[in-house]
Amino acid sequence: MIRLENIQRRYISDEVETTALADINLHVAAGEFVAIMGPSGCGKSTLLNTLGTVDRPTGGRYMFGDRDLAALDEKELAAFRGSTLGFVFQSFNLIDELTIEENVALGLAYRKDAGDRRARVAAAMDKVGIAHRSRHFPHQLSGGQQQRAAIARAIVGDPKLILADEPTGNLDTANGEQVMSILMGLNDEGATIVMVTHSPSHADMAKRRIDMLDGRIVASAMRAL
Amino acid sequence: MTNRYALLSLYRSLTRHRLYAALDIGGLAVGVAVFLVLGLYVRFETSFERWLPRHDQIYLIQTELHLPGSPFNGAYPASMAGMLEQLREDFPGLTGTRIRGGAGAGSVTRNGIAQREDVAQVDASFFDVFDLPMVAGDGRRALADPSAALVSRSAARKYFGSADPIGQTMTIGFDGPQVFRVAGVFEDLPANSDLRAAILTPIPRTPPPMRWDWYRWGTAAVMTFVRFPTRAAADAFAAKLPAFLKRRVGHDFGPDPNAILSLPLLPLTDLHLQPPGAESASRVAALVTLAIVGALTLLIAIVNYVNLATARAGLRAREVAMRKVVGASRGALIAQFMAEAVLASALATLVGLILTELALPFVNATAGLSLSVPYATLVPALIALAAGVGVIAGSYPALLLSRFPAAAVLASARTPGGGRAGTRLREVLVVVQFGLAIALLTGTLVLVAQTRHLRQTDLGFRRDGLLTLPSFAADDLAREQRQALLAAFRAIPGVVAVGTADAVPGDGVASATEQGGAGVDIIAMPGQPGPGLTVLRVNSGPDFFRAYAPRLLAGRLLDDAHRRDDATDWTKGKDGFNVVVDRTAVAALGFRSPQAAIGQTVGGAQPRTIVGVIEPLRFFSPRRPQSPTFYFHYPALPPRGMATLRYAGDARAVQAAVAAAWHRIAPQVPLVAEPVDRRLREFYAADDRAARLLGVGALLAVAIACIGLWGLAAFNAARRMHEIGIRKVLGASSGDIARLLTGQFLRPVVIANLLAWPLAWVAMRKWLAGFSDRIALSPLYFLTASLLALLVAVATILFQSLRASRAAPAWALRHD
Repeated sequence: MIRLENIQRRYISDEVETTALADINLHVAAGEFVAIMGPSGCGKSTLLNTLGTVDRPTGGRYMFGDRDLAALDEKELAAFRGSTLGFVFQSFNLIDELTIEENVALGLAYRKDAGDRRARVAAAMDKVGIAHRSRHFPHQLSGGQQQRAAIARAIVGDPKLILADEPTGNLDTANGEQVMSILMGLNDEGATIVMVTHSPSHADMAKRRIDMLDGRIVASAMRAL
Repeated sequence: MTNRYALLSLYRSLTRHRLYAALDIGGLAVGVAVFLVLGLYVRFETSFERWLPRHDQIYLIQTELHLPGSPFNGAYPASMAGMLEQLREDFPGLTGTRIRGGAGAGSVTRNGIAQREDVAQVDASFFDVFDLPMVAGDGRRALADPSAALVSRSAARKYFGSADPIGQTMTIGFDGPQVFRVAGVFEDLPANSDLRAAILTPIPRTPPPMRWDWYRWGTAAVMTFVRFPTRAAADAFAAKLPAFLKRRVGHDFGPDPNAILSLPLLPLTDLHLQPPGAESASRVAALVTLAIVGALTLLIAIVNYVNLATARAGLRAREVAMRKVVGASRGALIAQFMAEAVLASALATLVGLILTELALPFVNATAGLSLSVPYATLVPALIALAAGVGVIAGSYPALLLSRFPAAAVLASARTPGGGRAGTRLREVLVVVQFGLAIALLTGTLVLVAQTRHLRQTDLGFRRDGLLTLPSFAADDLAREQRQALLAAFRAIPGVVAVGTADAVPGDGVASATEQGGAGVDIIAMPGQPGPGLTVLRVNSGPDFFRAYAPRLLAGRLLDDAHRRDDATDWTKGKDGFNVVVDRTAVAALGFRSPQAAIGQTVGGAQPRTIVGVIEPLRFFSPRRPQSPTFYFHYPALPPRGMATLRYAGDARAVQAAVAAAWHRIAPQVPLVAEPVDRRLREFYAADDRAARLLGVGALLAVAIACIGLWGLAAFNAARRMHEIGIRKVLGASSGDIARLLTGQFLRPVVIANLLAWPLAWVAMRKWLAGFSDRIALSPLYFLTASLLALLVAVATILFQSLRASRAAPAWALRHD
């Protein structure tokens, strides 16, 4: 489904050039659950942002299915994100001024083909067990509940790919396990997931594990079944 | 320590966001400047005669007419010339003085030619009432001598140069030229005075020749002032005036003169803003409007400043938390924020003061004023203002931000910006700002439309190419001189017609204003109760209708060919005269149409037969209702007739020729010649000035409100960077984000209309009610103002929104 060929990402600021990604080659098949690990600053999040098209590579080719994403302009990329991708962040990134229901509905806000929005939002909240909190504001919820709401927002649009950036990083063990089980359940239902994590145990729950160092992929291993 | 850091941190925040700081401080500065300029103007207009010692003890005796249905009803500042003499007889010990004349009322003859001068005749007791400061001589003693005159400091310089004026002689014309000896010099009267006198001479002890109306009640020839030590004493005196009138007036005004005439007292300090007669209180209304505009602009600026300051401070929550982590106490933080805010508002106030000083020369030049900043009283007020605004602007960050638990702020992914309540409050403030700004804008549009309407309205005659000569009615002009002047004027190249009448455009009817009611005719209405219909009587002479060329609606104009057109011999009044009336009179008399009025005889025992009907000739202020008017014909010359020249071609050449003829034929009388359009302009001057000031105020208010909107949009975009990132990650395009931010900000602007429309509607309806000829209050003015405000707001916000929406989502998400 995803093919990255020689992807590079360099940042240039004030005469300092930083290479965040160097010659990344990666294939992710539909239905995979890939965990990316590595020390801080190794380029995990940059890779994830590149996959999510919120950061543009400075070199290489990003094919999604048979589409070359480099050919899309900003507007087309925005439409692509809205219809194809789901994001889960470490810091949840819920909008404080909106209720949980409204936050989840935001996942459909920029879709033209959303169908029955109300029903889809309710279904997504049900799936992650947050429906009873739908009228609350984010700050009224625990971290685990907030992250479940964020996952509901990510899946409400039936994305082909879910990108999760340390989704358990801000959670205690119990809540972390709960979030992981939700993600695994989604994967079992057919969702493709790419997840950045610092937790080896959570990485082991994925089907494939990739290790990064200094902007390069240094190891890639399939989970023994 | 704290202060040094406050200064440093203020300096940093000002220099780091230069444009932002300029708008922030500039907005408050402009608000302060608008408030100061308008405030100084209002202060000037309300300070008239307050410079006089004991000004609060001086009262003017007004003449108030209440004739049934008369357009001249109302209180006038003048009274019968001999009234004070009669008052003195009935109230021994009364302190009072008359002022006869004033601006341009007399003349000084130099080299055989009389030049107009501000001459006033006053009683010997003048200095008991008006304690004018003297430069030389004893004013009180001088006025006891019938041949002595007092001159002002600048008049002394004008006529005698550097020579000592005391003892010099000069020929002063009032009721005819007379030689006076200068016995004293008084200080020039200040700008905030309605007393206009360069020369003071004693008022005659017996009525001068031709002044048959000296003791005629209802006339208005002099201003009569009285002085009482207390308000109670003045009230006691006023209470005795009805009995005085009953005793003195006799039967000229029916069995009870108090039914038609009264003599109310007006405090001297109220005189300047008191409109004469039936005119609406336009001066007060204009002043109140300007005061409100000034206060509102300052209010908008303060709201704006506080709004921006608190919004910006909200972004510093992290800084506050860090300061706390490194050991700052809450007290130190409060002190720092307060000091910063007060310093910034002090800077803004100072800039406002500088702007005021820069603006005053222009304001003075355009409005003919001499306003200046009274530093002694203003500086403490400005310090209080700066401190007050600073404390309000500083208290939010000082008290609220310093209370946040540092750890929570630092751990939180986002900046506390006041949450929902803070957003709501800011929206409410934007609604208030824009509501006021849109109301001001609407008011300006209506004001401009109304003044333009008045300027273009049909007066019934062409206003250009018309020159009036009020001095043609001067008493000391001999009959032969008048005839010679008329002949000379007719011979001037370009002059088409020389009309005469006791009325000219600009100040209406000479006899009506000078004699209070003599220009009024009462038409008995058979079958109706009361004395009848009060109409305006214009006595017209030869060529009057040719000079003004009114539109004839029915019948014919008056001429020499018809015997009964001649109204010269008033003893023939019982036989009846022919008259021309205007359309207003036709309606007032109850005729169906102009045609139906032709040939009708009205007036009972004083029959007048209507032979012609014309469109009204509007000579009066547009604030005065058009009164029904009757025109009488005097084939030779009407009494107190003024001349009006209709000419074609170069105005200056005609005026020069008129002046030359006048100085040749009547050098002893000062020439007063004015183009009609200039005289008419005076009617609009006050409204024009108000429109200009209001317009500038409204534009600045809208500008300040937009600065506020711009700042808030910038602040909001910064605060919502995070949200923008989330939305973009979820697939929002730049257009979606720009629409979201713009729409959210336009909502308060749109809601502001709900506040602005009723406000503007009530205010402008009240203002328009002061005009008899007024525009309709069309919704177009409201919509235009709203649309303008909306356009400016969109332009302001769009820039910010577009910039925010273009930010890369990954950057936006990391940005806090």
